[in-house]
Amino acid sequence: MTAALLERAIALIGSLIVGGTATFQLKNEWPVEGLDAQVTKLLLGLMIIGCVFAFFASLNILGNFS
Amino acid sequence: MAVAATPGTAAYLDRIAVEERFRDVDPVYAETRDIRMFGFVLFLLADCILFSSFVFAYLYLRTSAPVWPPIVDGHQIERLDVAFGAMNSIVLFGSGVTMHFALESWKHLNKLAFNMWLVLTILLGAGFLGGQAHEYLSAPMNYTSSVFGASFFTLTGLHGFHVFCGVVFLTVLGIQANRGVYTGSKYFGLIAGTLYWHFVDVIWVALFFLFYLW
Repeated sequence: MTAALLERAIALIGSLIVGGTATFQLKNEWPVEGLDAQVTKLLLGLMIIGCVFAFFASLNILGNFS
Repeated sequence: MAVAATPGTAAYLDRIAVEERFRDVDPVYAETRDIRMFGFVLFLLADCILFSSFVFAYLYLRTSAPVWPPIVDGHQIERLDVAFGAMNSIVLFGSGVTMHFALESWKHLNKLAFNMWLVLTILLGAGFLGGQAHEYLSAPMNYTSSVFGASFFTLTGLHGFHVFCGVVFLTVLGIQANRGVYTGSKYFGLIAGTLYWHFVDVIWVALFFLFYLW
């Protein structure tokens, strides 16, 4: 197994775990009101998008097309 | 169905915990909490503008270049290592998740879990910084070789500085929390630390896309 393959495997599994957990946290945070809760929701949502990027990058779908 | 809060039941213990939590409510803190939160969000917005100025400068440089990565001395600079970047990104995003768990543990008055999640967050943050150091040492360009190198090192360096400040911030918060500075009803610093750490994560989402994926 090459280093790149190992890095991709870690990124793939990690993105699923971290993205799934962040989605769960966002779901729990959703009914909470207040400025800090709203900002947290926004930031968690953007972080989930980051996990999606990492997921597709680990599958070589994003990042090597140009 | 409502559960009766009779002694010995979980509902009773929950009620006791809530009463304990709000026993030490500080009226000044309660009055100024929203104002301080607004001020902290304004700080995050100002930081966002700082990053935006560098990001738009990078976008201008990139879209006005005939080829990207640029050609230096007749050779096109190699693209960055996407696999390593994705792995390092997950380390940072994972630290955001653990920080969220740390704050939730504090809210539920579970100090042991709070300490565990906070230490994990700090370790993951330090791990990300280590990954960035490795990336800098193995980067296919340097600061002065091209606009790509200058943009990459400026933006990721600025972000790395924020992560470093965040690691120090969280360490101080951990020390304060264990010295009794925060209570079950008074923990603005922990909320601010969590928001700051999420913000640092989100800035990296943009940088990861711009430098590694685009």
